[in-house]
Parts: sequence; C-alpha cells; structure tokens
Amino acid sequence: MVTERLLNVAEKTVELAVKEKVNQAQVASFLWDSALTRYANSQIHQNLASKAGGVAIKVVIGKKVGTLTVNTLEEGQIKEAIRQAVKIAEVIPPNKDFKSLPKPEKWTPMQGVFDEETATCSPDYRAERVKEVISTAHSKSPIVKAVAGSLSTDMLAFAVSNSLGVSAWAKISLASLNVTVISQANGSEGFGYAMQYSRHIKDINPVLIADKSAEKSINSVKPTKLTPGEYETVLSPLAVGTVFDYLGYIGFSATPYQDGQSFVKYHLNEQVFDEKISVRDDTRDKRTLIAVPVDGEGVPKKAVKLVDNGVVSEGSICYDSLTSGRAKGKRSTGHAFPPITSGFGQARPMPINMVAAPGDATTEEMIKETRHGIFVTRFHYVNPVEPTKAILTGLTRDGTFLIKKGEIVGPIVNMRFTDSMLSALKDVPMMGKELEQGETTTVPAIKLKKLRFTGVTQY
Amino acid sequence: MLLLELGKKSLEEAAREGASYTDIRIGKIFDENLTVKRGVPERVTLLQKSGFGVRVIAKGAWGFASSVDLTEKEVAETTRRAVKIALASSRLKKKDVALAPPTARRDKYATPLKKDPFKVPLDEKMDVLLQAERTVAEHSDLIRTSSAFFRAMREEKLFMDTDGSEIIQEITWCGGGLLGIAVRNSEVQRRSYPSPFRGSFGTQGYEFFQSLDLPSHAKEVGQEAVDLLDAEKCPSGETDLVIRGDQLALQIHESCGHPTELDRALGTEADYAGTSFLTPEKLRKLRYGSDKVNIVADATVPGGLGTFGYDDEGTPAKQVYLVKKGLFVGYQTSRETAHELGFEKSSGGMRADSPLALPLIRMTNINLLPGDWKSEEIIEETKSGILMVTNTSWSIDDKRLNFQFGTEIAWKIKNGSKEKMVRNPTYTGITPEFWGSCDAVSEDDWMMWGTPNCGKGVPGQVMYVGHGCGTARFKNVRTGLVG
Repeated sequence: MVTERLLNVAEKTVELAVKEKVNQAQVASFLWDSALTRYANSQIHQNLASKAGGVAIKVVIGKKVGTLTVNTLEEGQIKEAIRQAVKIAEVIPPNKDFKSLPKPEKWTPMQGVFDEETATCSPDYRAERVKEVISTAHSKSPIVKAVAGSLSTDMLAFAVSNSLGVSAWAKISLASLNVTVISQANGSEGFGYAMQYSRHIKDINPVLIADKSAEKSINSVKPTKLTPGEYETVLSPLAVGTVFDYLGYIGFSATPYQDGQSFVKYHLNEQVFDEKISVRDDTRDKRTLIAVPVDGEGVPKKAVKLVDNGVVSEGSICYDSLTSGRAKGKRSTGHAFPPITSGFGQARPMPINMVAAPGDATTEEMIKETRHGIFVTRFHYVNPVEPTKAILTGLTRDGTFLIKKGEIVGPIVNMRFTDSMLSALKDVPMMGKELEQGETTTVPAIKLKKLRFTGVTQY
Repeated sequence: MLLLELGKKSLEEAAREGASYTDIRIGKIFDENLTVKRGVPERVTLLQKSGFGVRVIAKGAWGFASSVDLTEKEVAETTRRAVKIALASSRLKKKDVALAPPTARRDKYATPLKKDPFKVPLDEKMDVLLQAERTVAEHSDLIRTSSAFFRAMREEKLFMDTDGSEIIQEITWCGGGLLGIAVRNSEVQRRSYPSPFRGSFGTQGYEFFQSLDLPSHAKEVGQEAVDLLDAEKCPSGETDLVIRGDQLALQIHESCGHPTELDRALGTEADYAGTSFLTPEKLRKLRYGSDKVNIVADATVPGGLGTFGYDDEGTPAKQVYLVKKGLFVGYQTSRETAHELGFEKSSGGMRADSPLALPLIRMTNINLLPGDWKSEEIIEETKSGILMVTNTSWSIDDKRLNFQFGTEIAWKIKNGSKEKMVRNPTYTGITPEFWGSCDAVSEDDWMMWGTPNCGKGVPGQVMYVGHGCGTARFKNVRTGLVG
C-alpha cells in the first residue's frame, strides 16, 4: 500500500531526526504519479508520464527551524538529508514567531476519493479519448480548424508524521480534460473552451466537452468590437472560479491578511458582497475535487466560511501553523500546502476547496434578464492591481458574446476588465442553481449588475 | 553505475523498443531559499531534486517518461514506458515528427563563478538579510511588513542523444532582494529593490548577491514605501511614458519574449498560455516596433539568468535576432519547430525546469539592445510625461496584444525634470502600436535583469530567464486606469 509505505518512511525519518537531538521534527513524504496526453492542431504533440516523490524534513532546535526537501525515499539518502536539515537549524537565528509543530488532532480518512483505474490509466486509453474529442469537434462544422487541450490522470499520496504524535495521510486520484477549439471562416478566428474534472477517469465525457467547446468556437467567429465601459455581465462558472481563486489568494489567506494586503482586513463583519454570495472552503464537501482530509502539516482540514451571505470576517481567513502561531488566539485551519511539486511549502495557506451556495437561476434566465450586456466564458491572465481594494484585471477569452434584449446576438472581440470585486460582486441580481466543479472551486454562473471593461483587444 | 553508462543503456533500450530518436537528461538540482520577514527567518529551505527524463520518437511520434529513481532497472523501465507512450501518440498524428539537423557535441560547461554561493556559510547570508530587513522595518512605524530574500540554485545535468551528443553542464545562479510594505488605514503601498518577485538574479556566484548590496538600499525602500502613502494618484489620459529597466524587463518578457516562441505561434500552446499574434506569414514582414527597437534572444550574455552552454536538446547557446530595427525577423525555436519552418538550426531555446519535465521552448535572455541615449537625457528631453519604475501587476491577452501593467512607483515629468511622486501607476496598450511609439532607448543604464518565475506549459513549469535593457520612452501611452 502506497500510504502505508509513505507513513512508514515519514515515521522512521522522524525517529532518526529525533536521535539527532532536535526538539521537534516533522516529515512529510509524498509520491506523485502523473500522466498527461496533450494535443494541438488536432494531433497529440506532447505525451508524458512522471514519477515524483520524496520527503520534506523540518527540524526544530529551540526556535530555530530548518527545512530540507529531497526527492528520494531511500533510507541512506534520507539520513544524510536529516543531518543537513539539522545543520541548517543549528546556524540560523531563532524564529520568535514559531510556537510549535502541530499537536495531533483526530482525523478520519476520506472514502471514495481514490480510483485505481484513474491512477493506472494507460496512454492508449487517453489517446482514444483524445481521438473522440478531436473527431467530435471536427464533426460539428467544417470551419473547425484545430483542436487543442490535454487529458491528464494523476495519483497523489502523502503522509505526515511529527515528533508530537501527528500521523496522517491522504491519497487521491485526479482526472481532467480541457478542450480548446479554434474555428476559422473568411480570415476570422473563433475560439471555444470547455473542461471537466473528476476523480474518476471514466466520468470524463470527451464527446460532451468537445461538443460544448466546438459550439462556442463556431459561434465566436467574426466578432464585433464593443466600446469599453460598464456592462451587465453574465459570468460562466469557469470565469467565476477564476475570480474566487484570486480572492482566495489575495484575501482569504493569512499571509496577505497579516501583511495588511488583504481586503478582508479592512472590511471585517461588513457585507462586502451581495447577500446571495456564500462560499465555504470545505474539503469534505462531496462537490469539491482535491479532497484530502489533512494538510501538508498533518492538521485536519477545517471548513472555513469565507463569505457568509456577503459578509467577510476574521473567520474567513485560512491559516497554517506558522501564520496561526503569529496571530493571537488562532489555530491552524489545516491550510498548509501538501508537500508536492517543488516541495518547498512556500505557498501561502489558502482555500483550495471552495464551494459556493447555489442560487435559483439558469444561465438562460440570466441572459434573458439582461438588456445590454456581455457573456464571459473564461478569463485569461487575471492579476491583482490593488489587492486591498480587490481590484483585478484580466481579459476575456474563448467565447465572449454580446447580449441584447435578453438574447445572445453575436460574438464580440475579447475585452479587458479592470474593476474592484468589492464593487462587481456587490450587486449580483442572479446566481446560478447549477454548480460546476473546477480544480479548486465549485461555483455557479453569476450575473453581475455591472463589470467595468477598460479595454478591447483585436480578436 | 556511472551516469554515462546509465544514459547509454537508456538510448540502447529505446532503440531496441523501436525508437528512431532518443535523448536522456539526468540531473540534480540544489535550490536554497532564505527569507527574513518581520525580523525572523521565516523560511530557510534547501531542496535537492534529482532524476531523469527520457524523450523518444517512435513511429514518428513523441513520448516522454521520467522518474526520480535513478537505478538501472528504473531507467530501463522508464525508457520502455516512454516508447509505449510514443506509440500511443502515433495513433493520432498528422505527419511524422522531423527535427532540424543536430549539433552533436561532447562538451562540458560550467557557469563561471568567483564565489560559490552554496559554500558561503548560512549565517553569513542570514546576517545580510537580517540587517537589510531591519533597516527597512525601522524606517517607520508605517512599515507593516518588511522582507529580505536570498536564493541560489545549481543544476547539474547530463544530456545524451542518439545523434551523438554527450554534454555535461553545471549551471549556478543566485541573487536576492528587498520588500517593504507601508500601510496607513486601508492605503497600502510597496517598494522593492532591485526588482519585484523576490529580487534579481544572475548566473554568477555569490559576488552577484554581494553586488546588490541590500543593506545600502534598504533605507530608500522604506522611505519610498512610506512616501507613496501621501503621493497623488496616477493621472488618467495619454502621455509620454518613460519606463525604467526594472519594468521594461517585464514588458519585453510579456510582449516580445512570449509571442516570439515558435511553439505558441504554431498553435501548440493554444489550450493554456495561448497562441501569438506573430504568426509565421508575418516573419520579416511585420513592423513590430520603431527603428529604435532591436531585440535578441541571447543565451551567451555573461551573467544573464538565461545563460547556459547548451539547451536541453543539445543545441549550443547562441544569439538570434527577434526584432531588428523594428522589423519582426526571428523566433525562439526547438529542433522540431525550426524544421517546421525550414530554418537551418534550432535557436537553442528548449529548456525544462527539472530532469523530470519535458523541455519546451523557453526564453533564454531576451534583450532590448542598447540605444544611443543616456537615461537622464531621456527625462531631460521629455516635456510632459510619467516615469514608471518597478513592476507590480501585469496582464496580457492570449495572443500577446493587449497588455496592462502597473508599477510600484512613478514620477511626473515636466519640462525635462522628474517632479511629483505618483501612486498606483498603470499603463496599457497594444503591442506593435506601443513598440512602434518607442522613440528613445538608453545605453548607460543597460543591465541584465533576472526573473526566476516564468510559467509555461501543461503540466506547468517555472523557468529562470533574463532580460537586458535600460530605460526607454514611448509616445502617447494610455495611463492611469485605476481610480
């Protein structure tokens, strides 16, 4: 069993570290098997599989904390890594903000979040699904010029042990398909996009996703230019997910909150968003994707009410042990990042299991109720301009349409928005009743009374 | 078993399984990250990453597999896996993959260093960071957060391919920076030195970090962050814009670096980062900028963060023109994409962020070549305009046309002199129009800026790249979009 092996490595490494006369030690071991078939111009051009893994060792001497990550699970190399981690801790100055490694808390493993079929999916299976994607898209119209995207299947497992008795693990499988369709007619291009995430590869529906993307693409050809300004805007769940990802990063993370850069800090207990908006970060909500019971420090992940009927509060903030140690009366909410990718644990604590409360409208009803507005499929290259005011900028992409008198009347050239989300999300006349699962968010479509578009591009 | 032996076995195994081309990269990465924040060592981490990646062409299609487990058995299994993946790819190909001619060499390259950053004692580095960070913090009670950063990275790698390459490289880089955040009520302002994103970096030894001299610049960081709290808003409208190197570097990165990547222009990044407005039929025809604009991709610049001996396909480092006297003349390419457009050779731009990752076309050093102005002269000869310094926000569309940037600080220019400080400055434009309005490029303050956080690819990779530039002026640019 992968998790037993990882837990064994973590616990053994903690034992070895403690023998080096450190006060506390924490070890997170991990394995990440990933495979991805990527296609563009309607053929596979990148196709890969990777086996990564290792241990992240944290040793504490007094208040001195040294961290070393090494991508091996081999005992000899781990012993050397411990010695190096101790050396680091010995020479650096103390961190007065460090209180303690987390103490053990009761946790329970999550059921139904790992699918063997997904973890062991073959390149042939992925190639066949990609074939379906491409043939479906091209069959929609002769103006479909190219299909691009990727189909990935992953297995991620980690275990955390520390010298205070923490002993926890997680294992999940992930599958995702995204499809970009490019159409061309009379020298004009149209773009469409759709995606699907699941923990089960067999749930991924290539025909449905390709069909959705192709339809958007075909309907996007020959866009007209719209003058920048404020417009009623219907955001698809994809676009809403991007906005909430950024709000999580700049607002609901303890790091910017403590740095004075979070908008939440200046609006405690205020209704900053429309009262229809309620968002929780809850790993145990069945509608969320990255369902791990514990974080990268082995702390059980707690549900956090990020937005409660439009109100944000101190309780909206996600902490790990370092940031909670810095704040009076706070405990980690279990939002330390798992020891994957670079293994640095450098990422700030932030929500990755956001689920919004649904509304009662369909997207069609939102369009019907729009006099003169814009439908946005997806945002591109969003970035914060002024984090304390939650001002974001970014562009529309892959299907932007003009709505007039309750109907989509045609595609428009992609536009840049620059607006405060405290203003844009303050007046939300309609919320979608269907939630769509993204990588880190599960959200509905939203209709904004106004969004400020500040520029227009050329396609 | 020696790495060379393991590499040879992989190439042989792939050939037995039916591959027509194979390369293997075996590597080790050491990455040291130090952060001092609010007077404490917030982060002291060392990452050691090793492994190998095997890339093959079989039945005319690509396959790639990688693993951290560097044993003979795992190398053989991973190689067979790469071939199996390539065979799966071949089910969906329009034509066979073909590569531009190889530059097969047996060679060694190492970054020239005066002082190995990994041999400098940790406490010595921490002392510099603590001293600099405290100076920022103690400047004023309004400084809410102050941080100082150091990072050093070393990549040891072996590249072998069936064309006969056998290249061993040791690439080392380091650098660091400072950040101060001042807060009064809900007004928040930040200043960084020498550039944002945790500082600036170069393929040099510890001497590069020392040359940044963080403690000497710390007071100014604190001072300007506090002063910005009282500065007036950036005016809205059209004006002449003077951009200093620490912002111009990102402008080059986003609006020239990415769109001249040939994989983007050929549509193979369409699903994620996007495509490019610089499509192949525009090559040597499109006026990208004014005749003051000369931009190269150059992996040979001494000390540049994107400097190396060979790329991850074994192509030697070189300089290629992307824009010459304003004309779009070249792409950053791989062996495959170079062949696609009939170029004689790759530009040497294939890079992977670890041995486990697939090489992609990545920037090396994308440099705006020096002009004939002095940076002070540009300001002196500007009647009315804004000087913008140090990037803080950035966004550009997926064809790299419509961009918007924000900088940490700006000053109004009136009748040739730098006057009032301005807060929350932003500007926006359309790439060829913007570069077409460039009427002055400096020479005296030209330097290499290094940013280690360029993202690209699926799965995402993060690459270290460099940008050489000084100060430049652009006419009639739209500024001040944020109220």
